[in-house]
Amino acid sequence: MAELLDPAAEVPRRRFELDDRGFDEVPRKYRRFYRRWEGPDDSLAPNEAICPVCKIVIRSPRELRVGDRLYCMACMTRVVIVRGEGGRLEAQTVY
Amino acid sequence: MRSPQDASVNLHALEPEDFLEEVHSFEHWFESVSGYLVGLDHGHRRDVSEPSIVGAERQRLIATLCSYAVAETAALEASSGLIAIAPNRASKIFLSTQTADEGRHVEVVLNRLRELGVADPDAEVERRAGRSIRNFRERLLELVAAHEWDSAIFAQNVALETMEYTVFRAHARVADPVTRDMLERILRDERRHIGFGENELGRRIAQDPRRRAWLSTVKSELDRLVLSTFDEALEELRVPRGDRPQLGRDYLQAVARLGLD
Repeated sequence: MAELLDPAAEVPRRRFELDDRGFDEVPRKYRRFYRRWEGPDDSLAPNEAICPVCKIVIRSPRELRVGDRLYCMACMTRVVIVRGEGGRLEAQTVY
Repeated sequence: MRSPQDASVNLHALEPEDFLEEVHSFEHWFESVSGYLVGLDHGHRRDVSEPSIVGAERQRLIATLCSYAVAETAALEASSGLIAIAPNRASKIFLSTQTADEGRHVEVVLNRLRELGVADPDAEVERRAGRSIRNFRERLLELVAAHEWDSAIFAQNVALETMEYTVFRAHARVADPVTRDMLERILRDERRHIGFGENELGRRIAQDPRRRAWLSTVKSELDRLVLSTFDEALEELRVPRGDRPQLGRDYLQAVARLGLD
């Protein structure tokens, strides 16, 4: 429902080619779905969200929208994308 | 159900039960740790140069590592004990991998003590480990012995693991290169352990919300121990008192996500 109300949902999603960014904590075939947060000068791309549990950056092959499901394989957490305070998209744990 | 081939195309398209099956498996653990543990020398890279650590700095590092050894031994004993009372196969297998992780942590911390010139690391740990972490270990093992699954998972995988995760990160930022490399590889394991605890308890609270009240009671009882253990560890690391509330944030956020008072 939330996704239906989101004006961004009307616009076609951008696709992203994921590259291996050296995240060595998951099996090789899944590495491109993750990267480490690089500090204060880092920023999230439209296809990325920070895992609220372990703070690893989760990457999706498509632009994120409210209601999207993602998995953090580093800490085995399922998250859903929500619109947080200030209007930014962020990840929320789903147990 | 999607196959692992589909998952490598888009992992996030997996069904939740397939994802859980995958990440709790021994094979998944083995492929994961292979990425950062192969080719090490006693838990750290061979090409990291060993600096000269002397005097009070060396003594402080030895005392800190002694407390880490107690924390890791507590987790080794508790995670192996929890296998017998785990409510399902996936949790039993995950805990077998955590047990292996904790055994490795104990070994590499004791070896780091040897590298620092400690002749008998076990005796040194007995003599110098902090009082609070010993008390925490005692309480954790009581919960395991009492077959208190929810309470013991909270104590180990939420409280203890989050403390380790926080303290090791703070330590790694200021540590010598060898200790830093060792800690950063332990931290990779800790991410799985904290995630397992929070997600396991989150699912169990969702199944039976009465567990939330019980876990809030357990949390209240453990808070004093958690705070004193945190304080003791951060004191050894010379972390300024003003910075400590910030470092406790991960623990507070985890209990808030679980809805514990």
